[in-house]
Amino acid sequence: MGYVELNVLNNTIPASAPRVALGIDLGTTNSLAAIWRDGRPAVLRPDGRSGLVPSVIHFPESGPPIVGREARDHAIVDPRNTLFSIKRFMGRGLADVAQELSTLPYTATENERGLIQLQARGRRYAPEELSALILRKVHEVASTALGETAPTQCVVTVPAYFDDAQRQSTRDAARLAGLEVLRIVNEPTAASLAYGLDQRDKGNVAVFDLGGGTFDVTILTIEDGVFRVLATHGDTHLGGDDFDQRLANLAREALGAQHGEELTRDPAFQQAARQAAEHCKVELTHQPEADLHLMVPHKRIAWRRRVSRDEFEALTADLVERTIDSCRRALSDAKLTPDQIDEVVLVGGSTRMPVVRRRVAQYFGRNPHTELNPDEVVALGAAVQAHILMGGRRDMLLLDVTPLSLGLETMGGAVSKIIQRNSTIPCEATEGFTTYADDQTGIDFHIVQGEREMARDCRSLGRFKLKGIPPMPAGMPRVAVRFHIDADGVLTVSAKEHSTGASAHIEVAPMHGLTDTEVEGMLASGYSNAVDDFAARRVADLKTEIGTMVLATEKNLNAGRAGLDKESILDLEDALARAKAAALGVDVKELQSARDEFERATLPLAALLMNNVAQKALMGRSLGDV
Amino acid sequence: MTNCPACGAPLETPVACGACGAVHDVPDAATPFELFGLAPRFALDERELRRMSTRHARLVHPDFHAASEPPVRARAERNSARLNLAFDVLSDAARRADWLVVHQGGPTEESERAMPQAFLMEVLEWNELLEEARAADVVDPRIDPLATELAARRQAALARVATLLEPLPARGSPQLAAARRELNALRYLDRALREIESLRLARAERR
Repeated sequence: MGYVELNVLNNTIPASAPRVALGIDLGTTNSLAAIWRDGRPAVLRPDGRSGLVPSVIHFPESGPPIVGREARDHAIVDPRNTLFSIKRFMGRGLADVAQELSTLPYTATENERGLIQLQARGRRYAPEELSALILRKVHEVASTALGETAPTQCVVTVPAYFDDAQRQSTRDAARLAGLEVLRIVNEPTAASLAYGLDQRDKGNVAVFDLGGGTFDVTILTIEDGVFRVLATHGDTHLGGDDFDQRLANLAREALGAQHGEELTRDPAFQQAARQAAEHCKVELTHQPEADLHLMVPHKRIAWRRRVSRDEFEALTADLVERTIDSCRRALSDAKLTPDQIDEVVLVGGSTRMPVVRRRVAQYFGRNPHTELNPDEVVALGAAVQAHILMGGRRDMLLLDVTPLSLGLETMGGAVSKIIQRNSTIPCEATEGFTTYADDQTGIDFHIVQGEREMARDCRSLGRFKLKGIPPMPAGMPRVAVRFHIDADGVLTVSAKEHSTGASAHIEVAPMHGLTDTEVEGMLASGYSNAVDDFAARRVADLKTEIGTMVLATEKNLNAGRAGLDKESILDLEDALARAKAAALGVDVKELQSARDEFERATLPLAALLMNNVAQKALMGRSLGDV
Repeated sequence: MTNCPACGAPLETPVACGACGAVHDVPDAATPFELFGLAPRFALDERELRRMSTRHARLVHPDFHAASEPPVRARAERNSARLNLAFDVLSDAARRADWLVVHQGGPTEESERAMPQAFLMEVLEWNELLEEARAADVVDPRIDPLATELAARRQAALARVATLLEPLPARGSPQLAAARRELNALRYLDRALREIESLRLARAERR
């Protein structure tokens, strides 16, 4: 319980500055932060700009990596050193993403532990490191918008269909960025929070989320402020990028025939085709026809083709139908029919496509909600969840589910399910194990996530090893292994030996993702955290500013002495000395106050100089002579 | 039901106190019924159970313990998971019945595999129909009526389970074995209904 000071006079809680946390949407294409303020969630926009940070990183020849809008501009010029769609690689192995990689201009390899690494400028990066760079940029933008260092506590969203490994990777990325993750929240669930659907006392909601690289649909029921997720279904390999690819294929086919197949493998060509396709797709959202216009300067290619919306919709019809297949399966799991859905919410930039809106409206037999910007709704919802977690409100309760069943591989490679998909989280299951040889001190087991019957067809979460079982005859030890999926959807495993109660000695070896040592190594190797970064920049800015002011003051002080009273001079000399001293240190607060003090002390001198300038100007002398 | 060790108020659930908010340690052996502060019985108001579950969730859900001390937070997380699991068992009539039969010392799913006699002939007939539907290229017109019939059978089997288990038979009562046989039939029906549903979904996805 927090400490609450009661005002005895009117018995109200004083409106002290409430603690707030950031809501962050870490997206495939764009990322964004929002925060709870003035009783509602708000997107953090620096200087009225959108606040959207393109999830793109460019590694220049020298100097630190460039993240966001500026990085995106490098994509065509230097495609091999510009990384994007990083979210698709989070928590995956090379085999999982072979299809994606074939269309991407940069290269990926696998390290000795089977973790994917993306290559740029001769270095290999784990997707977590790259996502951390994006998160840092998001935090920096948020700080700029707030005018002070943004909170480091945050809620980060992930697609509902993300598995355990993908969630852990997201958590690690935030840790690398110096952020403290209060909660990993599913994007569609967050979106439903943003829409304030708790205002209705009862009803079923479908959230249709088509992002840049992933798709999921979530069915939830709302009653008395409780959001209970009934079912979720999705496809982590389906998103707006796939629609782009269909258009890019038009260019690939036409130009491949003209200039040879090698051209279509050229990274600059691939990047140009992708951007041309995306541009064309966006235009087709607003008009019935658009140009697919592609330029590859160093290959002397300028190519243009007219595409009609009808043609685009025909090219992508199967992709849209795949989203409806997921809706059908989610409803089937929720034991509902389309006409029992009271509200449909659209999330993700790709839901702007008219064909998607039309098909969704047709399937559910009602017009979907589109009041909130689909690029912002997830971040807004994350800010609502952050507000709940900070103790801001207790009337709303979110009960989410685990999207995939958890199982153990049995003899013969089949899967024995221990936690069913769509179980409300947190959830847990306990499974008993024993030994089959005398004095056996270890037991191996293999955990998988997925719906298929055979372990090899599911996603492997790794092979666990129970060690330290006391030596006993075969079949005697009774080891209870507890599988716990927390509110972030992340699994932890613990074990207890019952016959001796030797719980402390049983080790469970971790399995996938980054190890703690790896994360710490990355943290040590210069991936300093977001707060330090922002503070460091502020320190540098203040020092520069003080330096300029010192120079100007020293230059003009002697000339101005005669016209100033003694007190002002002493005051200014004091402030000058303090500012010079402060500029040697790195304390932001000290620098800031020394700067402000200094500025105030220079006012009389500045006024005097301005006055002199004005007089000289009146005497017909030019300003340059002053 | 006992009282809260922290404030003395009566506890609706052992996991936490609705009056003072204290989160309690609950023995591993606590049953789903105990977690909900209920006596074990089959008849149960499912709507009331859902209300109770959200009321309890508000006490221990990790969302409301983000700022709690680490040991309290860990306890809340654990209790939350156990409540969810208990809710899953109690809110599903078949799972609730299965739990009660085992709890009363009746046969488990593994030890008693028989189904009610009258049921067996029909199973053969249904299996044949399902087999044909699986092999067919188009949606078999007999599938929809079959699904309707199986769903009706499911209702009837559940009703029989309810009569067998309410009031709860004593340990060793032959009614427990009878209930187990009905539950076996229920499992068959559920599997068949699931298969029909997946056939339908697969057909819808074929283009």
